[in-house]
Amino acid sequence: MPTLEEEIRQLMADETASLYAAPDLAERVLRSSRHKRRRAWAAAVAASVAVVVAAPVAFLTAGSVATAGDQATVSVTPEPPIDDTPPLRSDPPNLGDLGDGKEFGHVKVGYLPERLRWSNWSVNFGDSYSTSYNYTGDKQDFYCVQIFMHEEATVQETGDRIQEYRDEGDGAEVTIGDRTGYLVVQNVGEDGGKGTPTLFLRMSDRQWAEISFSPIYAKEFAGDGAVNAELKKIAEGLTSTL
Amino acid sequence: MSAVEHDFSAFVAARGTSLLRVAYLACGDRAEAEDVLQTALERTYRNLHRVRHESLEPYVRRVIVNTAISRARRRAILSVIPMHSPPETSARATDADLRHVLMEALRALPPRQRAVVVLRYWEDLSETQTAEVLGCAVGTVKSQASKALAKLRSALGRETVEGVIRNAHA
Repeated sequence: MPTLEEEIRQLMADETASLYAAPDLAERVLRSSRHKRRRAWAAAVAASVAVVVAAPVAFLTAGSVATAGDQATVSVTPEPPIDDTPPLRSDPPNLGDLGDGKEFGHVKVGYLPERLRWSNWSVNFGDSYSTSYNYTGDKQDFYCVQIFMHEEATVQETGDRIQEYRDEGDGAEVTIGDRTGYLVVQNVGEDGGKGTPTLFLRMSDRQWAEISFSPIYAKEFAGDGAVNAELKKIAEGLTSTL
Repeated sequence: MSAVEHDFSAFVAARGTSLLRVAYLACGDRAEAEDVLQTALERTYRNLHRVRHESLEPYVRRVIVNTAISRARRRAILSVIPMHSPPETSARATDADLRHVLMEALRALPPRQRAVVVLRYWEDLSETQTAEVLGCAVGTVKSQASKALAKLRSALGRETVEGVIRNAHA
């Protein structure tokens, strides 16, 4: 005779057998993501457009050139070209053997919390790359701290993401020495808990770092203040070699 | 379409149905499940750079389950859903009747207990894995599973379930 658990499992299988994901689900997800990105981009552009018009009154139209009497600064980044190149299917390359993991890509890590070591995991997309740290050095184990670097072309996307958090009133601006950053708990559902504490650090116009604690690791600290203090210490220790 | 979009689309095409079923069991409502799934996929896509390729599906599952839990809490669903009375199931009840009874009983569970049932008995996750997904202790998973099963027994009527299943599959 089946156990109650087995019966529940069978009933759930029967109940869901007729459910199928919509064929256009992926398309809808990507379309929605693009739409949100465009909205964030437009908001960022609107915020960065500074127009100073001197008398006599002049008008400014998109693409117009500032004329005498007008001083206009429009920091509008053109839309990226459409990429119709067929994708190449392959696993993303990694950063290779990073040794102790204290230097990767164009960044040096000056501080890590106690007992953390390089996880032997990394990923390298060129302008963006990442590695992580955990207790065991086993890449299959869950990460404790992950550092994601965004450089050159990917800096804009990072700015868009931060702008989304600003628009939602989520997170706060922070100062790390003479650098600025943004502290936020990213709620992506990872591992349940209270989300993923993250510090975005602006290292230069061409380089941002995204430092995250896994929700499980964050629980080891005595409250949000302690987590944020550690995130800031890691941020302080990052130096660019770009 | 970029390589990343292509890969993500392929993942959704391959695993979308499985994930929708998880969402449905976690929500108890088809329309809600479709919305939760799309939301979860959008969140995952936005954070794709942080997800290791080999763990993409568990990652989406975590987002689904936690989204379902937070939505249920936010909408105070539990306060408006009455506990179901034990159904009057006849010996000739069909599998469809049983499924209806089960889903009603699942909907009546607190969201976290429902999530435990789905993860443990549908996704076949271990107690440790379930604890990781829900961000709680293994002991909590055990107690939540025990309470959930007790409520299912109580709501469904253990003897009734067994009798109906025997007859339905006879």
